[in-house]
Amino acid sequence: MSSMRTRNLIAGVILLLLSIGYGYMTAHLPTRAIENTTQPSFFPWVVATCLVILSVSLLAQSLLPIAKNNVPNSLGVTGKRLGTALILALAYLTALPLAGFVAANVPLFAGLMILYGERRPVRIGVGSIVISIIVFYIFRELFQIRLPAGVLDSVI
Amino acid sequence: MSPDVIDGFLQASQYSTILAVAAGCLIGLVVGMIPGLTISTGIIIVLPLTFVLPPEISIALLLGLYVSGMTGGSFSAILLNIPGTPSASATALDGNPMASRGEAGRALGIAITASFIGGLLSFLCLYFIAPVLADIALQFQSPDLFSLVFFGLTIICSFAAKSLIKGFLSAAIGLAIVTIGQDPMMGTNRFTFGEVNLIAGVHFLTALIGLFAVPQLVENFAEMAKSDAAARSAAKIKSVLPSLSDLKLMRLPVSIGGVAGSFLGILPGAGGPIAAFISYDYSRRLSKKPDEFGQGSPQGIAAPEAANNAVTGGALIPMMTLGIPGDPVTAILIGALLIHGLAPGPLLFVENGEFAYGLIFSFFWANIFNIIIALIGLRLLVKVLSIPKAFLMPTIAILCVIGSYALRNNFFDVYVMFGFGLLGLAMRWLNMPIIPLLLAMVLGRQLEEHLRVSLIASKNDISIFFTQPFSLFFLCLAAASVAWSFWAEYKSRQAQQQSSSPSEGG
Repeated sequence: MSSMRTRNLIAGVILLLLSIGYGYMTAHLPTRAIENTTQPSFFPWVVATCLVILSVSLLAQSLLPIAKNNVPNSLGVTGKRLGTALILALAYLTALPLAGFVAANVPLFAGLMILYGERRPVRIGVGSIVISIIVFYIFRELFQIRLPAGVLDSVI
Repeated sequence: MSPDVIDGFLQASQYSTILAVAAGCLIGLVVGMIPGLTISTGIIIVLPLTFVLPPEISIALLLGLYVSGMTGGSFSAILLNIPGTPSASATALDGNPMASRGEAGRALGIAITASFIGGLLSFLCLYFIAPVLADIALQFQSPDLFSLVFFGLTIICSFAAKSLIKGFLSAAIGLAIVTIGQDPMMGTNRFTFGEVNLIAGVHFLTALIGLFAVPQLVENFAEMAKSDAAARSAAKIKSVLPSLSDLKLMRLPVSIGGVAGSFLGILPGAGGPIAAFISYDYSRRLSKKPDEFGQGSPQGIAAPEAANNAVTGGALIPMMTLGIPGDPVTAILIGALLIHGLAPGPLLFVENGEFAYGLIFSFFWANIFNIIIALIGLRLLVKVLSIPKAFLMPTIAILCVIGSYALRNNFFDVYVMFGFGLLGLAMRWLNMPIIPLLLAMVLGRQLEEHLRVSLIASKNDISIFFTQPFSLFFLCLAAASVAWSFWAEYKSRQAQQQSSSPSEGG
């Protein structure tokens, strides 16, 4: 359990910093010398102002004793499982352009099956290979979407 | 009768379009009934497959999925007491008690029939209201359109969030993301950091896949499939056709649900869950046997089911006529239309009248096929509930990756999707609503364009927004929606304090 006020405080500080950064970048946007028109930075300035006001409001709400309800971990997932999923996803995203869709999807699929509670190795092995290949062919042959085959280009 | 109406009907009644509607209904029923999969996720999964199809067929498929997804949500609500979609939450209140006493088939039959009637009522609303509203909207000028989009955003923030500040923050983040890429008026690059892939901006469908699908995949780590319970419940299904006495009992709740759902569907952000609970509440108040509600009352199933299916037709009205999505699904439909080069809004009826009416009649067919497929295939369909999540969720994960890639055949979009997934997780952790961000991304460019065009026309005189009648009207509505939301938040906080004070005192 963690307090929503703490979460709001963290979010308020991060959003305020990001809003200031966004405002800084807006100030450095190029201008156009055209009369009676709004500059490209006009709308970003409106958004940056709104973001700063709202971030400060969120900060104020977290600091004032208005709402102090405790809330459960809204994702309902253990940090270990979430961390493993994150590492798996990052490894997948790194490998995807080089390995191609089938070769990268198979380990991702197998890893996710384990994270979703599957423990039988045959099911994991067969399921990840067969489904990855079927999905690849459905998109490539049936729907004509060219998915890069990567390292398996000569095989499939 | 306008030739567009006849052409639209013929277009929607073509063999290929009907087949697409039926396929969409089948997928929608399956997606809707699986707890942990929303209709939005279902549409996200199917969307890349529609890129290669003609627009009328791809929209027909998505409409079938939308309509049937609502009905499918009630299956798991009734059989497992787990709503397949948030809109089916109210159905579980009476549907599951009825199923628990061995009448699962009766409960499902009532839900399917009520969904059908609710859907047909909303079709009539769509057919009669949409063209009239489009005619009115044709008179709108830039200041009116700015105020209309602004109103659409404020009402979504008001409905979607328990905290108005978080709703507005979510929308502001969405607007900030929209400013990435070329400026819509002068073509100046903004916040692209020299990255070529950012010049066209962030594609909102990429963002949508990340925002919706990734948090859902993560949340499903915590929930395991209820396969045993599903198998047992499926065995209990006998006759699904509602009896005459049930049909008589359903008349009033279905009428309430149909009207309330169609009306609330028109309001951006209100959506199925609100319509379902309001209809449930009104039906209970007007019922001769209000005590039966919550214990397996047929009326308690009929009212929310009619309402949540009626929302679908209602939500299509602002989408088609004003280009304003009422919920994430209609936002995706706008994206799908844009991919096919069709811009929803009042001009859709003028420039593509045949397509606009075709869409309306496809919605009609979706309701017809929804009831046919649901009643005939019910016993087979509920077996889907026993598919292990260990197979289902990884398949969805790779479909999301392919979906992001297929938008522009670009790995960059896959990384953007993943980034939005992390943002979606952070927003869930904060109890910050995702819908305002998403809709701000859909409407943001229009908002900026209309604001800047209005200011250029008025030589930077801001009073232009208050002197035009339509614009003033929408701004007043926006102010009213914000004031109402503040009042509702204040009252809920007061109620929270009152409920916690006795325990503190004791």
